Amino acid sequence: MTMRQKTFLALALAGVLVPAAVSAQPKPAPAKPAAPAPAKDKKGDAKVDVAPIVQKLRSGDASQIREALDEARIAGPGGAAAAPAVAEVLGRGLPLPLTESAIETLADLEAEAGTPAIAPYVSHRNTKVRRSAVKALARTKGAGASAALRRALSDQDAVVRGNAASGLGALKAKDAVGDLFTALDHRVNEAASSIGQLCNPEQCERLAAKLGPLPFDVVTGGLEHVLFRPTTEVSDDLKVKVVGRIRELGTMEANKFLRDVQKRWPSGTSPRVRQAIDQAVMATSGGAK
Amino acid sequence: MKRVTIGALVLLAACGGDASRPKTFSTDWLDDGGKSIAAVYQRLRNVTPEATSDVAVAVAGNADKIIGLPLSGGSPWMFSHAVDARPVVSGGVVVVSGGNEVVALDSKTGRKLWARPSGGAPLLGAGDDGRTTALTFSRAGSSTLLVVGRDGQVKQQIETPSSVGSPAVLGGVVFVPWSNQYVSALDAATGDELGRVVLRDKVTRAMSIGGSLYFGEVAYVRFDEKIPAASSGGASRVVIPSRELPGTPRLNAPGTEKVPAVAGARDRDRLFARPVASDRAGVSIDSGRFYASYFQIVMGFDAARGNLAWVHTHPSDVLGGEAISGGLAICDATGKIHVLDAKSGSHVAEKSFGEPIKSCVVHADTFRAPAPSSVGTNLSAQIQEALASREATLATAQRLLLRELATQSDASATKTLIDIASDPRAAPVLVTDARAAIASRRNGANHMLAALGRHYDYLKDVLASPPVGPIADALAAMKEGNAAPLLASHLLDPADTDDDVKRAAAALATLATKDELPALKQFFALYRASAETEDVALGVASAASAILRLDPKEGRALVEAAAKDPSTNEVVRARLEAMLAASPAAKPAGDAGAP
Repeated sequence: MTMRQKTFLALALAGVLVPAAVSAQPKPAPAKPAAPAPAKDKKGDAKVDVAPIVQKLRSGDASQIREALDEARIAGPGGAAAAPAVAEVLGRGLPLPLTESAIETLADLEAEAGTPAIAPYVSHRNTKVRRSAVKALARTKGAGASAALRRALSDQDAVVRGNAASGLGALKAKDAVGDLFTALDHRVNEAASSIGQLCNPEQCERLAAKLGPLPFDVVTGGLEHVLFRPTTEVSDDLKVKVVGRIRELGTMEANKFLRDVQKRWPSGTSPRVRQAIDQAVMATSGGAK
Repeated sequence: MKRVTIGALVLLAACGGDASRPKTFSTDWLDDGGKSIAAVYQRLRNVTPEATSDVAVAVAGNADKIIGLPLSGGSPWMFSHAVDARPVVSGGVVVVSGGNEVVALDSKTGRKLWARPSGGAPLLGAGDDGRTTALTFSRAGSSTLLVVGRDGQVKQQIETPSSVGSPAVLGGVVFVPWSNQYVSALDAATGDELGRVVLRDKVTRAMSIGGSLYFGEVAYVRFDEKIPAASSGGASRVVIPSRELPGTPRLNAPGTEKVPAVAGARDRDRLFARPVASDRAGVSIDSGRFYASYFQIVMGFDAARGNLAWVHTHPSDVLGGEAISGGLAICDATGKIHVLDAKSGSHVAEKSFGEPIKSCVVHADTFRAPAPSSVGTNLSAQIQEALASREATLATAQRLLLRELATQSDASATKTLIDIASDPRAAPVLVTDARAAIASRRNGANHMLAALGRHYDYLKDVLASPPVGPIADALAAMKEGNAAPLLASHLLDPADTDDDVKRAAAALATLATKDELPALKQFFALYRASAETEDVALGVASAASAILRLDPKEGRALVEAAAKDPSTNEVVRARLEAMLAASPAAKPAGDAGAP
């Protein structure tokens, strides 16, 4: 446990959850007690007093730990302050059910502090634990999450690989696009969606070129993201190109996809792309199966 | 017994001739101590076969074509005829059975010498001495011996309820094995039984090989001056040593059974040995080698002790062949004949029937394998080549070869064992054997370290883990410190088996350095409470042992805490408690000598 974590735990156990710098100042006497508004974290979630949770986590008793984990999960991101304590018990090792529960709790807390504790579990021998860990890292984010998920793309378990591919998209791990293409070529279909979220123009075109060699649904799962990404990330020129690639297929499934995009296309945005979609819908309306 | 002399007088008087001679195929004969066969030997002692054959004969087409290929050169010949039994080569003839007749062909040219109706009776065997051909047939509940002259005239037709085998002819005397124990010598002209010998080995074949006459099936008993002592075990006899072989190969098919025209499973699983007359023992095995084939694999063995000498991996199944002087001739379904050197297994000659074949017979009285032009690969490399095939039918032979490989001391053998154990396409039994062999290796550490550098990796198409456990055992026994970081990485690889993890951890208990502490502690934390199998639990205990050794202070605290934690796996906890009890913590310096 780091010194920072130790300090945090000491404070937490004392029931003090205000910043240390503030607590060091003499407290002014309140003029009039007023109902205090619950403190909120950066995301706007109401902060929760995690001291009882931490106390239970440190009890060493399995039932209390389970109770604490449940309470922390209910608290959600508002209970993020409990994350270091959860990470600590997870880092020491728990029986399997509690291991899964601790990982899922850290995921619900969405605290980066959980990432270092979860990352080793991406290599756990139990498949369910690995699946949980991979899903959790996509939510806790932070340093190490991307590296762990990239490793997990090579896992024996297809679900782990798929979750890792999806997680890399959620983490916006642009440096993982190369690995995601390799995964896509190895039938990790979830990689297409993440590539669509992360690709640069060249990579997006590479994804579009997979139309044909790979199943339509798989590739368009990624191209859909490409089309709806802001023009600051993906130019209209590229989007028109992508629409053109889909149009060239001339199939009914291409038409169906394009009609769906047409329906959802934000009004007033990118008229050139809109026009290309409209024309493509018309051109493919008599598409072959 | 029913005997008919065709084209001559009916020789009923023969039964009442010399009292010392047995009646033909009589079952009331008492062993005469070799007296009658000694007389036959005296009569034939200076007789040598007038005709020899050096030919390979194949059944081709739809079992309606015979192709002859002279081994010493010359054009192949072809003879179209239905074939219902494997052709027999003896003396100067090739005997073919099929289409309700039996035909004799000149072995050099394929010219038809004669044909006789057979009534569809299955041909068992034939012998020829250049003038006379003897043939045996199986009939329901009886056997028939037919003696035919070069002109096609039947000299004798003898029927007997006894089971007769494949005959041989020498100097006008027909040698007929029967009832698995006797060889009767019959006068080809009269049908009289001139003498009889009883053998201690099963005997269903009389064979003329390289100018000598032999009796047997699983052993070779030479017809020489010692033959009178056969019943008391004093004959010139040679047998190949008993040893483990793939399948159930036979040296010779029983002469009492028809051999099918088309090669079957039994032809892919054979033993070959060539008896040769020798001054000292009377008979020995040519070149000191016997051979075994198993589908595509051919092995040469030391005839004295049975040790494996070489291995030849053939591109296709071996359908047949014969041991020849100085080597082995084998043929395959493509119609090729390959000659292998007896000493090294080197490929020394190749001939072709010119088309695919169904079966083949090789007979070489004088043909000798050419000497190899170069030194071949060593045994270890030959075994490795045989093991490289992933043909499922070879697994039985490969298991045997794998065990042989394990006895080889070169490091490349270790690499081959690792390759097999890491190959998802390898037969599971081979993987198991290879893993066991690797654990016992004490060389090839570099190959082992290289293997440990590999991990399961779906994206890199590495779909099998290396044999981590056996390698860990071997490297720990070799005290190979370079293995520690690699083994530590495998502790945390979920693709490795529980057994591999256990053995990697056990090796790390002795090999790990402080550099491996983080991995050991991570492994310990991950599984001390969540180990799902005993193997992993034992691995955790081994990791704890390494931690205690490498980090006596903080490591001990970690282990002590785990030992006290009720959530720690029971097996792990028991081991930790025992470990801690066996090595109590050092007392603080101030406590020394305190009362």
